[in-house]
Amino acid sequence: MEPTMGPVQAAADGPYSYSSQPRSLPPRPKYREQSHAAETEKVRYGNIMIDPRVVRGNVLSTRPPPPQSTEPLTLEVKRQRKAQKHTPARRLTQEQIRPGTPEPVEGRVHVHVQTELYLEEISDRIIEVDGECQTDEFLDRPPTPLFIPAKSGKDVATQIEKGELFDFDIEVKPILEVLVGKTVEQALLEVMEEEELSQLWSHQRAFAELRNAEFAELQRLEEQDRRIREEKERRRLEHLEKLRKQKETAEKIAARAFAQRYLADLIPSVFNNLHDSGFFYDPIERDIETEFLPWLMSEVEEELQKKVLGRTMLDSLIRMVVEKRLDEFSRPPPAAQTKAPADEPGATDAAPKTSGEEDAVDQPVAEEEETDQPGAEE
Amino acid sequence: MAQPRISAYLPPDIDPTKAALAFGRRALPKLNEELQSPELLTQQRALVALCDLVHDPEKVYQAVALGFLDSLKALLVHEDQTVRQKTTEVLSVMALHSIGREGLIRRGVISALAGLLDDPADICRRNTHQVFDMLARLPEGAGGVLQAGLIPPLVLKLETELDEIQELILGTLSNCLRVEVSGALAAGAVPVLKEKLSHPSTAIRSKAAWVLLEISSHAEGKIAVFEEEVIPVLLSLLEDTRPEVQVNSAGALMFALVTPQGRSSALGAEAIPPLLTLVAEETSKARLNAIKALTLLAELPRGRQTLQEHRDTFQRCLLDPSEAVQRAAEIAIAVIDWKP
Repeated sequence: MEPTMGPVQAAADGPYSYSSQPRSLPPRPKYREQSHAAETEKVRYGNIMIDPRVVRGNVLSTRPPPPQSTEPLTLEVKRQRKAQKHTPARRLTQEQIRPGTPEPVEGRVHVHVQTELYLEEISDRIIEVDGECQTDEFLDRPPTPLFIPAKSGKDVATQIEKGELFDFDIEVKPILEVLVGKTVEQALLEVMEEEELSQLWSHQRAFAELRNAEFAELQRLEEQDRRIREEKERRRLEHLEKLRKQKETAEKIAARAFAQRYLADLIPSVFNNLHDSGFFYDPIERDIETEFLPWLMSEVEEELQKKVLGRTMLDSLIRMVVEKRLDEFSRPPPAAQTKAPADEPGATDAAPKTSGEEDAVDQPVAEEEETDQPGAEE
Repeated sequence: MAQPRISAYLPPDIDPTKAALAFGRRALPKLNEELQSPELLTQQRALVALCDLVHDPEKVYQAVALGFLDSLKALLVHEDQTVRQKTTEVLSVMALHSIGREGLIRRGVISALAGLLDDPADICRRNTHQVFDMLARLPEGAGGVLQAGLIPPLVLKLETELDEIQELILGTLSNCLRVEVSGALAAGAVPVLKEKLSHPSTAIRSKAAWVLLEISSHAEGKIAVFEEEVIPVLLSLLEDTRPEVQVNSAGALMFALVTPQGRSSALGAEAIPPLLTLVAEETSKARLNAIKALTLLAELPRGRQTLQEHRDTFQRCLLDPSEAVQRAAEIAIAVIDWKP
């Protein structure tokens, strides 16, 4: 539906008229760049109800041209504009319809007055009455009433009398047979079970008795056997013991005899040995030997020693004299008296020396004597 | 609209406590699944149905083959008492069949049941002991009970449990102690049994005497019996009014007198007269045991002397219909006539 834009131009004179084929206007583009896109796309039709370009309200009075500006159409502005429309609208309408009412004289005011028969309240505002309408709440669909079609046809009745369908006594027989049969079967099974068991137990008991009796007999014989064996064992042990003792005794006797014989000439030999080793001695002989003879010997020794001593004394005397004489004769004249005391100590030295020698000689002699005596005393 | 159910009410004799059984071979597998379901009611109903089914040996075989025992073992430790009670009941019924017994032993249910010995509910314990009793009659079962180390707890329970459970315990013990006795002696079984010998109930006395019989068939048992001085009590029981008690106590004496100490103590307690009365009775079941006991006593010189006077009693026993009694009587006469 392409709108044809064919304005028909009237003559140049005369009132200007313009007409075109009615077309629907595209909606106002919201964004500037959209214009290019709108050309390529399909033409969209705007909603005529909300198109601001469509005149609404009272068309009889003149109104100011629609605003071309893009100032935001806030509610205040809209209200202001509407208020503006109201007051000048009445004046403008009146002026156009009745041209040139002269201005009121000073001090006077023109008043509009209605002169018809019936007064009319003139207001731009149309009396509006709000009316509401609402459907009722939805109710459930009521159940359809029972449709009972009208009766047509004939009424007929029938009845089953007792005994017509079946005969209870005949019919119940198989059922009863099954029931009773099952019960009896079960009972028979249980009775059979118990009988079987009691038979088994009686058999078992009889067997158990026999077995116990035999077992007891067995144990008795075992016990007997055990006792006899023990007895035998004991006797055997006793016998062995006896034999052992006998053997021991025989050995003892043999050993005794042998020992006796062996030791028979032990005593004589022992005595002989002892006798030989001098354990049996004649006490007097011993006595004489041990005491008398040593004493005698020691006395003899003493005597001899005395003699020796005398001889030695004599010897020493002689020697002393001889030495003195020697000294005196060997001494120089009294000029050598100084030497004489020197000699004399020399001689006296020699004398004690010799006496020392003699003493020394005496000492070993005395020692010898001492040693002789204990030796003899031994 | 047509429905397969005829009326909204269930038929009057249907059991609401039982689960519905599937048909034929499918019954047990379905019960197995129901046993493992998390819902308590399903488990209980399945157990009740299982209790009834398990009386049939074929069903027992199928159950063991399907591995029911594992799910039952898991249910033994359930916190609900009904579940435990029914499980133990099922196990006790299964133990009545040979297949069931073998299955139970192989799957190690014994050790799982050991935990239930202290259960607060009486029925659970009773069923548990029933299972043990049944299982112990088999040699493998007795071995299993011994291996699970159940003897000391059982001996302890003897003192505290109810009477009927005590009978079951005594039965279990008698079968297990036939095999091995050291565990029981260590747990002090002989004094407890000595007490039970004077219990008012006949069954308990006879079973206690039976257990003592089994104990004294072992060497260490004989020593223990002598030390605890049970022999005089047994001798007093020989004069009991009930025949079962007499039989068992004569049997216990028969074993306990094998030891020399036992013999001398018995002679000291004047054992010969009651035993002779038992032998003299023609219809006594205790004849065999009494003859054996007297044979043992006859080995002592004093006993031999006394019995030589009663030789004709034994002669009469030679005419007894039972062969075992005849043989025993012959042996007895031979022992009496023996000269050292």
